[in-house]
Amino acid sequence: MADTAGTTPTSRGEDVLGASGGSRTAPLLEVRDLRVHFDTPAGTVKAVDGVSWQVDEGETLAIVGESGSGKSVSAMTILGLVPSPPAVFPGGQVLLRGRSLLDMPEARQRKLRGNEISMIFQDPLTALNPVFKVGEQIAEMIRTHRKVGKAAALRKAVDLLGEVGIPNPRVRAAQYPHEFSGGMRQRAMIAMALANDPQVLLADEPTTALDVTVQAQIMQLLEDLQASRNTAIVLITHDLGLVASHADRIAVMYAGRIVETGTCEEIFTAPRHSYTHGLLSSLARMDHARPEKLEPIPGQPPSLSRVPQGCAFHPRCQFATAECTTEVPILVPSRPGSDHLHACLHSDRVAAAHSAPRPPAAVATARVETGVPPVLEVEGLVKHFPIRSGLLFKRTIGAVQAVDGIDLDIEPGTTLSLVGESGCGKSTAARTILRLQEPTAGSVRLGSRDVTAMRKEELRKAREDMQIVFQDPYASLNPRMTVRQILTEKYELLGGELTEDTIPDLLETVGLSAEYADRYPHEFSGGQRQRVGIARAIALNPRFVVLDEPVSALDVSIQAQILNLLEDLQREFGLTYLFIAHDLSVVRHISDRVAVMYLGGIVELADRDDLFERPQHPYTQALISAVPIPDPAVERSRERIVLTGDVPNPADPPSGCRFRTRCWKHLELSDPDKQRCITERPALDLADGSGRHRVACHFAGERQVLRG
Amino acid sequence: MGMFILRRSGQAVLVVMGATLLVFIATFALGDPFASTGDRQVPPEIAAANRAQFGLDQPLPIQYVTYLGNLFTGDLGVDFDQRRPVIDMLAETVPNTVRLALVAILIDVIIGVVAGIIAAVKRYSFADVLVTVLSTLAIGVPVFVIGIVLVANLSGVGPFPTVPRSFTVEVPWYQEVLLPAFALAIIDAAFIARLMRGSMLEVLRSDYIRTARAKGLSERKVIGKHALRNSLIPVVTYIGVSLGVLLGGAIITETIFQYNGVGFLLFRAISGNNAPVISAVVVFGVLAYVLLSLLVDILYAFLDPRIRLN
Amino acid sequence: MTTLPPPTGGSPADTAEVAAAARPTTQAPHGGRRSAGPGQLSDIWRRYRRNRLALLGLGIVGLLVFLAIFEPFITPFSPFEQNLLNTTAPPSARHWFGTDVLGRDMFSAIIYGAKLAVIVGLATVAMSLLIGVVFGAIAGFRGGAVDSVIMRTTDVFLAFPLLVGAILVVRTFGAGVTPVIIALALFGWTTSARLMRGQTLALRESEYVEAARSIGATDRRIISRHILPNAIAPVLVYAFTNIGVVVVAMASLSFLGIGVPADIPEWGRLISQSAPFFQVPGKSHLWAFPALAICVTTLGFAFVADGLRDALDPKLRGRG
Repeated sequence: MADTAGTTPTSRGEDVLGASGGSRTAPLLEVRDLRVHFDTPAGTVKAVDGVSWQVDEGETLAIVGESGSGKSVSAMTILGLVPSPPAVFPGGQVLLRGRSLLDMPEARQRKLRGNEISMIFQDPLTALNPVFKVGEQIAEMIRTHRKVGKAAALRKAVDLLGEVGIPNPRVRAAQYPHEFSGGMRQRAMIAMALANDPQVLLADEPTTALDVTVQAQIMQLLEDLQASRNTAIVLITHDLGLVASHADRIAVMYAGRIVETGTCEEIFTAPRHSYTHGLLSSLARMDHARPEKLEPIPGQPPSLSRVPQGCAFHPRCQFATAECTTEVPILVPSRPGSDHLHACLHSDRVAAAHSAPRPPAAVATARVETGVPPVLEVEGLVKHFPIRSGLLFKRTIGAVQAVDGIDLDIEPGTTLSLVGESGCGKSTAARTILRLQEPTAGSVRLGSRDVTAMRKEELRKAREDMQIVFQDPYASLNPRMTVRQILTEKYELLGGELTEDTIPDLLETVGLSAEYADRYPHEFSGGQRQRVGIARAIALNPRFVVLDEPVSALDVSIQAQILNLLEDLQREFGLTYLFIAHDLSVVRHISDRVAVMYLGGIVELADRDDLFERPQHPYTQALISAVPIPDPAVERSRERIVLTGDVPNPADPPSGCRFRTRCWKHLELSDPDKQRCITERPALDLADGSGRHRVACHFAGERQVLRG
Repeated sequence: MGMFILRRSGQAVLVVMGATLLVFIATFALGDPFASTGDRQVPPEIAAANRAQFGLDQPLPIQYVTYLGNLFTGDLGVDFDQRRPVIDMLAETVPNTVRLALVAILIDVIIGVVAGIIAAVKRYSFADVLVTVLSTLAIGVPVFVIGIVLVANLSGVGPFPTVPRSFTVEVPWYQEVLLPAFALAIIDAAFIARLMRGSMLEVLRSDYIRTARAKGLSERKVIGKHALRNSLIPVVTYIGVSLGVLLGGAIITETIFQYNGVGFLLFRAISGNNAPVISAVVVFGVLAYVLLSLLVDILYAFLDPRIRLN
Repeated sequence: MTTLPPPTGGSPADTAEVAAAARPTTQAPHGGRRSAGPGQLSDIWRRYRRNRLALLGLGIVGLLVFLAIFEPFITPFSPFEQNLLNTTAPPSARHWFGTDVLGRDMFSAIIYGAKLAVIVGLATVAMSLLIGVVFGAIAGFRGGAVDSVIMRTTDVFLAFPLLVGAILVVRTFGAGVTPVIIALALFGWTTSARLMRGQTLALRESEYVEAARSIGATDRRIISRHILPNAIAPVLVYAFTNIGVVVVAMASLSFLGIGVPADIPEWGRLISQSAPFFQVPGKSHLWAFPALAICVTTLGFAFVADGLRDALDPKLRGRG
């Protein structure tokens, strides 16, 4: 897809978007002025309000937007999956090769679903029926639209599973969805969607629930299948990075409307709508050696039941003028005759702003201070969760080796990031360091004190110095306590002077108005809640704060707000951070030092720029290469290492090097060398010629994966 | 799976042991089966002789062990009134209760499941409102009120025999069982309808139903295959447990209809302070309940592959 | 400030999107509201008020409580005074509900029965709630062997149907109101214990409990401030539903001739005493009035419970 972007036939350019008059043949799938409204007691919710786009064979159209932008609703409407009532469709058409879908009787629409248009969904676990075998579910898809026998359909299902890269397809077809890993399920979902060779595939956040290396696998698979079948793909996503490498054309949605559309290049290099520009500027980029300061979009996406008058984006827009508040801008070409359309009254100012250089961020260079005693020292930390089984009295029969011996230390005032995919043990490591979970072995020293040796009451008091911000701002605040109560509780428990001004000051510090103190968590947005969580953590000036994926549950435009806040707080109070993350772009932006975890162990530990520019471990290299970069030019020239298979079971990890079962380098080794990986577990040793770059690989070596 | 059944069975045995201990304490240790109650006066020396004869003068732990041993060999003793073996009395009444329970459950399931499905699929329709209102009302009405109303208005009418049954008239069991089964079924059917509706609504909201629709399946297949199988899981659980309760004897209903099942037997035993019978019937009820819960758990594992393989 | 139910994540699920679009926002845009606890209570009341049946239920329960408190002043006759010369009389201007098989004024008897129902219902449920919450919270929070022992114990009690269990206890302790309360509480606490345990187990792992621990909260504080207030809602709702069950169980016990002493005009007893008249035309007032009283009572508490469930948990709204 990415490589075809540049060679999109120009003949197709004639009949893009709305210019239906002059087209010789009707486009494959066209949506014209679609409107989907929901009648609710609170008023009409205009989820989709006049949206038009089209897609042709072999082409990938990306529809990008934050939550509540209406992007999924528009796609589900095409398949007739939006329940009505409460939905009403006051206008618009969906045309498949000129045939109008919305006017068809239900029975005929049904014949198209799964046959000519099919869809894959975000969460492959819940999207497959838990009580039927995977093979049966695929066979059912075939038999719904083709006259084939049960056995033949099942055989075809097995073939399809093989085609989407599931090993042992015959065995797998007879298994249930929950026996599949996340990536496998999405592969099965794709096999099902493609079972009848549809012309159009709607992919609704197909990789959002997956790890980044698995995401790379799935996107690669979709690309291959698209190439061999010439399928049109509509990719619905919030992830601009993903779009840069995989879309031919992009439509950006905001509050139920398309605000800008054009080719991938046009959108990324020359955005004309203030919102697109804002999204691009707020993204952390993994490939920037000197990260520019993130420019968050202020505020938050509007509720669809209360879309602002005029341009829906104007309350958050830096360029907004009085006109913007009254007039709903329509899509206009950026140049006469261009297919790059935008709905912004100030496109010139946006263009100027986008090409202007931006000031460097506060933490432009990683702070590397050697010789300062670290704030936190972790040595040989182990956390095993026993697996018990037995009839009446349970015996321990094994252990999930969540964290299996990690060493690290953090220098004062710096940020160390612990990155890895889900299940690698990074969150468990953080919690064990804080002794929110008891370590199985190892020691943790905070300054001069040994945390692991503390008694209960001593530990309780010591919490003043070590704090944590949680991932999910919806789950980490007690719903029955006001913000004031939540914050006051810490002072009650740990002592510390509490005056009338304490709570208001604290709220101001994290960018919340003091008058919010007596509200309950449910009255806040996600970003605001996360600010409350941060306020709780930094109250009483801790020395060390764990940030456990603090932005991964937030919308893109909000992430930058929180990241900037965390950086400001670090500078102001000299905080030391342990940043837990799976998003390498954010890690590149915020860290001074980075540790990469795989299956319970650290495989590489280095200063930030060393790690990203000169990664030594094959896993780090694969991880970095799998992260999409929101720049089509960079993406096209990059080499992607696609790992095979899934992360092994941490209760039964591979012998020797834990990564060897998925290692691309391992495959290239000679037999005796391979044997070494299998028998000998590599230690986290200094890399050649470096004083601070550690790597746990027998055959470590640099490989450039960040840029082309 | 085998491990699961074994462990679950182990728990069931524990529960039965605990329950028998409770019954033993209540009927023999704390209560005095030979006490004088109401019009039955027992002279002290006869009570003492009775105690000795039935082994009630032994220390309590020994009594309990003897009691347990007898239970497991099927020796439930003789009743205090007519000196008939309790096991015979059970043998006479259990089949009646089983019939009643099965017929009641059958009516339950048919009415409840169908009503629940219709209400969920046609949500907010007249049928949905009707089902919701009727089931709410039915749950508020105690079973003995339903029983009395049925006896007052329907017994002796058409196929329904009179209550109490006349000795001179032979009534086939399927006629006799109808009214009490219906009385029992009304409330349970209301529960099942509500449960089924809620479960179905929940399932209809799930992603895999959306997938089924996206496949182009007909609405009948979406509901009848994909939604039904999943939404039945909690309902089956409830039905199983409910059957377990009914098998232990529906004391109120059987009494109102003077239906010769274990429930009515228990009622008569309570009135006559007939300890061996009370204890036997209660233990039988506990056994039925525990056994059915065990079966339900196993069945649950079969219905839901996610549980089966863990 | 707008507070649309937020999506979980930079992963804006389409379902969340549709749901968010289709649902009205739960919270109206408030200004800077200052009240703390009362704010939440008024929220609950606002949601409760929307349910008409729940309001009806509240009316019924209110009436019952009123009757229970002012019973001596309301009853036109003594509910105990028998008049063997005027038994089973049909309703009249003097005896609004007629007289029962012992010649007592049925209206007075019913009101006395209401008092009994309220006392036994509330006392039993309060007792079983206390037992259940304590054991359930301990089992859920401690886990391990403590949990196993408590759960197997609840299994044992659960294996007895409420009525059968109560029969065993009442037979052992003799007739009376207190034994009935003890018996019903003893076999009625299991469900609240299980509910409480499930809630505690889930909340124990919740991030806000972890957050509380991270700022140095003790176990005691975590249970009392963070787990109990959040876990109690479904247990309370269950307790309210259970009041109706208790009232019916008490009536059933009396109906079987055990439990409350025979001379007390309890609803179930009134019904069982009229058993010979079930099929006698013109005497249906003997059982219809107490039966109606029981139905109205159970429905009243059930409506309140339903309303509470919806009001306490906005997520449950619209569920069957």
